[in-house]
Amino acid sequence: MTWEHFSLIAPELILTVAACAVLLLDAWETGPSLDVGGRPSSAAWVSLAAVVLSAAAAMHPARSPEVAFAGMYVRDQITQIIDLSAAAAAGCGVLLSPGYLERFRLPAGEYYALLLLSAVGAMLMGASRDLITLFVGLEILSFPLYLLAALARRSVRSQEAGLKYLLLGAFATAFFIYGVALVYGAAGTTDLARIGQTAASPLLNIGVGLVTIGLAFEAALVPFHAWAPDVYEGAPLPAAAFMSVIAKAGAFAGLVRVFPQALPHLAPAWGQMLSVMAVITMVTGNLAALSQSNVKRLLAYSSVAHAGYLLIGVASGGEAGTWAVFYYLAVYTAMNLGAFGVLILLERRGEEADRIEDLAGLVQRAPWAAAALVVCLVSLAGLPPTGGFIGKLYLFQAALLAHRTALALVAVLTSVISIYYYLRVASVVLGPVGTTAVAVRRNVPAGIALAVLAAGVLWLGVLPSAPTSFIQQGVHVLK
Amino acid sequence: MNIGILTGLVLLPLAGALSTAAIDARAARAVRGVGLLTAALVFALAAVMWTRFAAGVAGLQFEERAAWVPGIGLGYHLGVDGLSVNLVALVALLFPLALAAAPVRDRPKAFVITMLLLEAGLFGTFLAQDMILFYVFWEAMLIPMYFLIGLWGGPGRAAAAIKFFLYTMAGSVLMLLAIIAVYFQGGRAIGAPTFDLPALLAHPLGLSGETEAVLFAAFAAAFAIKMPVWPLHTWLPDAYAEAPPVVTVLLAGLMAKAGAYGLLRFCLPLFPDASRAFGPLLSTLALVGILYGGAVAWTQGDMRRLLAYGSMSHMGFILLGIFTLDVTGVQGSLIQMINHGVSTGALFLLAGFLIERTGQARTDAYGGAAGVIPAFAAVALIVVVSSLALPGTNGFIGEFLILLGTFQVRPGAAVAATMGVVVAAAYLLAFIGRVFHGPLRDDLRRLPDLRAREYAVLIPLVLAIFWAGLYPHPLLSRSEATVTSLLARVARTQPAQRPSARLQVSRGAAPRLQPVRTQPVVSRKPELLP
Repeated sequence: MTWEHFSLIAPELILTVAACAVLLLDAWETGPSLDVGGRPSSAAWVSLAAVVLSAAAAMHPARSPEVAFAGMYVRDQITQIIDLSAAAAAGCGVLLSPGYLERFRLPAGEYYALLLLSAVGAMLMGASRDLITLFVGLEILSFPLYLLAALARRSVRSQEAGLKYLLLGAFATAFFIYGVALVYGAAGTTDLARIGQTAASPLLNIGVGLVTIGLAFEAALVPFHAWAPDVYEGAPLPAAAFMSVIAKAGAFAGLVRVFPQALPHLAPAWGQMLSVMAVITMVTGNLAALSQSNVKRLLAYSSVAHAGYLLIGVASGGEAGTWAVFYYLAVYTAMNLGAFGVLILLERRGEEADRIEDLAGLVQRAPWAAAALVVCLVSLAGLPPTGGFIGKLYLFQAALLAHRTALALVAVLTSVISIYYYLRVASVVLGPVGTTAVAVRRNVPAGIALAVLAAGVLWLGVLPSAPTSFIQQGVHVLK
Repeated sequence: MNIGILTGLVLLPLAGALSTAAIDARAARAVRGVGLLTAALVFALAAVMWTRFAAGVAGLQFEERAAWVPGIGLGYHLGVDGLSVNLVALVALLFPLALAAAPVRDRPKAFVITMLLLEAGLFGTFLAQDMILFYVFWEAMLIPMYFLIGLWGGPGRAAAAIKFFLYTMAGSVLMLLAIIAVYFQGGRAIGAPTFDLPALLAHPLGLSGETEAVLFAAFAAAFAIKMPVWPLHTWLPDAYAEAPPVVTVLLAGLMAKAGAYGLLRFCLPLFPDASRAFGPLLSTLALVGILYGGAVAWTQGDMRRLLAYGSMSHMGFILLGIFTLDVTGVQGSLIQMINHGVSTGALFLLAGFLIERTGQARTDAYGGAAGVIPAFAAVALIVVVSSLALPGTNGFIGEFLILLGTFQVRPGAAVAATMGVVVAAAYLLAFIGRVFHGPLRDDLRRLPDLRAREYAVLIPLVLAIFWAGLYPHPLLSRSEATVTSLLARVARTQPAQRPSARLQVSRGAAPRLQPVRTQPVVSRKPELLP
C-alpha cells in the first residue's frame, strides 16, 4: 500500500474529509445550543466546494484500469462515470437544500455530512473489484440515507420512514452478506475477477442471487421496493430527492460490476432472471403510480419504474447494455432531482406541499420553476426532445440487440402508461391556479440547481453526441 | 455539415416561441402580434422554398446534414421531395390563419408559445430524413397538441386530451421498436447500422416475409391511428369536438396528414412486399372508413362531431388512393391531402366562428341563418361544395384522381367509394340546410355577419380552393417525379432472400455499434435550382 493508492481514491477521500470538517464546523458554529437549524450555515458552501474538488479529481483521466488496495479497488472508466454522476447528484442536492433546511429548522451540519458520506458510498460501489468493497460501499451509501430519512426529528412521518428504511435495509444487507459468504464458498474468493473464472454451480447461483437481493433493495426493484413509497413520502424533501438518485447510482454500479462485468459467461442464466425482474418492476411501478395523489409517492413509484428501465440495460448485458445503463443513470439523476427540486421550493402552511393539487397553476406564479418541472416530467415520461427519450432509445436498442424483444415491448407499453400520470401532473402545473394557499419560496442556490438540471435534461436529449461517446468509449475501453 | 432553409423552417417558430416567452403576459396584443408575425415570416420562408423547388426531380432537395450522435448512426438530416413539399407549404399556410382566426382570451401567451412549438414539430415531421429524428419530431408535436386540447379545450378536455395522447403514443412506441429493428437489419445489409432513411433505402434490407409483415404492421399502425383509419378512430370525435376550433383545424388539417405522409415516406419504400400484400386489407378499411364515417356524420347533432366524422370519411379516400400503388391514385392522394387540409380547415374555422357567435354547437340550435348572415352562408357553401368534390373546386381534382387510380386497380372498390361521395353530399348539405336554411329562428336575428378578421382568414382558403381546382398543375408537377420513382421501387419484387438474412441473428454475432459512414448522397447544388 503506497501513497499512489491514496491518490487513486482522491474523490472519495476529499468527500470523507469534507464530511468530517462539516460536522466540526457546524459544532463550532452552533456552540452548545441544542436548538440547531433555522440559520444560514456555511456547511453548504464547504460541502459544495468539496463536491467540486472531488469531481475535478474524478475527471483526472485514469490510466485504466488501475487497481489498488490488494485488488479491492479499481479506478477505471466506470468508476469515473459513477464518480461524476454521484458528484453531480451531491452537488445539486447540496444546492437544493439550504432554503428548505432553514425553513424547517433541520440540522445543517449533520445533513450535509451525511449527504457527502452517502455519495462516497455510491462512488465506492462503482469502484469495487471485490464483493467486500461492494458491501462496504453499500453500507456507507445506505447508513447515511437511513439517518437522512429520519432527520426531521419533530415529524412522526420522518421518524417512521427512517425506522422502516433501517429495518428493511438491515434485512437486505444481511441477505447480501450471506450471499457473499455462499459465493466465497463456491469460488473460494470474493475477488470479482476471479469469481468470473469460476464455473457455474448451484452454490454460486444462490450466492449471486442473494447478492442481487441486497442490490435490488437499494435500487428499489420489485419485489424489494415496498419501502420506497413510505420512505420517500416521510423523508424530508431534499433528502428524498437525493436518496432517489444516489441509491440508484450505487446499486446499478454494483449490478453492472457483478453481472455484465464479472459474470458474462453466465449471462443466459442471470439475463433471464433480471429480465423477469425488470418486467415485474416496470409493470408494478407504473401501475401503482397511476393512482397516486401525493407527488412524493408518485415520484417514488416512478423511481421504482425507472429502476426497471435501468435493469433492461443490465439484463441485456454486453457493451451496449452497459453504456445504456450509465447514460440513463445520468439522465435519471438530472430529471428526478429536477422534479423533486421544484417541490422543495413550495410550502403549504408550514408544511411540504406534496399533493398534486398544490401544484395547480404554478406556471403563473413561478414560470421558470414550472418550466423546469414540465421539462423533467416530459423527460421522465420518455418523450423527445429530452434526455429521457434518448436514454430509453439506448436501452431499447440494447434490448433488441440482445434479442430481448419481450423486454423492449413491455418497456415501451409501460412507458405509454407512465405518460398518463406524468402528463396529469404537468397539466395541473400549466392549468388554472388552485385555491390552496401554497407559497413559492424562491432562493438563489436552488434556482441555479434547477436551471442546471433542466438544462442538463435538454442537453442530454438534444445534443447527446458528446456524453454518449464519452460513456460509450469508457465502456468500450474496458472490453 | 450544411444548414439552410429547412432548418430555418424548424428554428424560426422556436425563435418566435422564445421571443413570445420574453413578453409580459399581460400584453396580449403584443403576444398575438409576435405570434402572427412569426407565422407570417415562416410562411414567406416556406413560399421561397416552394417556388425554388425543382419540379421533375425525384430525389431530395435542399438537403441538410449534420452529425448528431455519430456513435450510433444517428444523424440530423432534413430534406424535402415531392411527397412533402406541398405539405410543408400547407403547414406554413394554415398556422398564420389559425393564429389570426382565434384571439384566445385565456392565457394568450402560453397559447401562442404552444402553437409555435407545434408548428416547429410539424415542419420537422415532414422534413426529417433520419428515422429517429422523424420520431423525435413526431412525438414532440404531440406534447404541444396535448396541452392545446387539455388546457384550452371544452368541458371534456382533460379526458379527450389524454385519450388522444395515449392512443397515438401506443401506436408510435411500437413504431419506435420497429425503427430499431430496421436499424439493425439495415446495419447487417449495409455493414454499419444507421437510422438514415436514404442510406437504408440504398440497399435491399433483405427482410424475411414474416418479419417484413410485422415491421410494416408496426409502422402502419402508428400512422393509421394518426390519420385515423377505421377502426382506430375512436379518439377522434372527442379530440376534434373538445379541442378549441382553431386547434381542430390543425388536428384535422395537418396532423392527420402526418399519418398519411408517414405511410408514403416509410411503409411503402421500406416494406414494398408487405405494402403490396397489405394493400387489399387497407383498401377495405379505407372503404369502411369512408362509408362508416359518412353515415355516422349524417346522424350527428353536434356540428363539430359531424365535421369530425366527415373528415375521417375523407381521410379514407386518401388511404384508398395510397394503396392503389398507382401513380394516378397516389398523386390524387397527395393533392387530396392538401385539399382536405384547406377545405376541412375552413369548415372547422366556420363552425368555430358560428359557435363563437352563439355558444351553440348543435345544428338544431340554428336555422335560416342565410337570411341574416348572407356572406357567411356564401363562404360556407363554397367550402362545402369543395368538400363535396364539385368540379371546379380542389376536392374534385383529388377525388377524381383517386377514383381513377382505384378503378384501374380495384374497380369494385372504386364503385363503393363513389357511394362515399354521395354520402358526403348528404351530410354536408344537411349541415348547410340545418344551419342556413329553413325558417329563421328568432334568437338568430341579431347574428353578425363575417368580420374583417374572418374575411382575412377565409379569403386565402377560398382562393386556394379555386386555385387547386382550376389549375392544380403546380401542385401535381412537384410531386409527380417522386411518386413515379417511389412506385417503381414498390413494384419491384425484392431480391430473393438469403437464408441467413433474418431479423434474428445468432447470439454472439451481434454487430458492435460503431461510427457510421453513411453513403454520400449527391445533393443538388443551389445554382442548379431555377
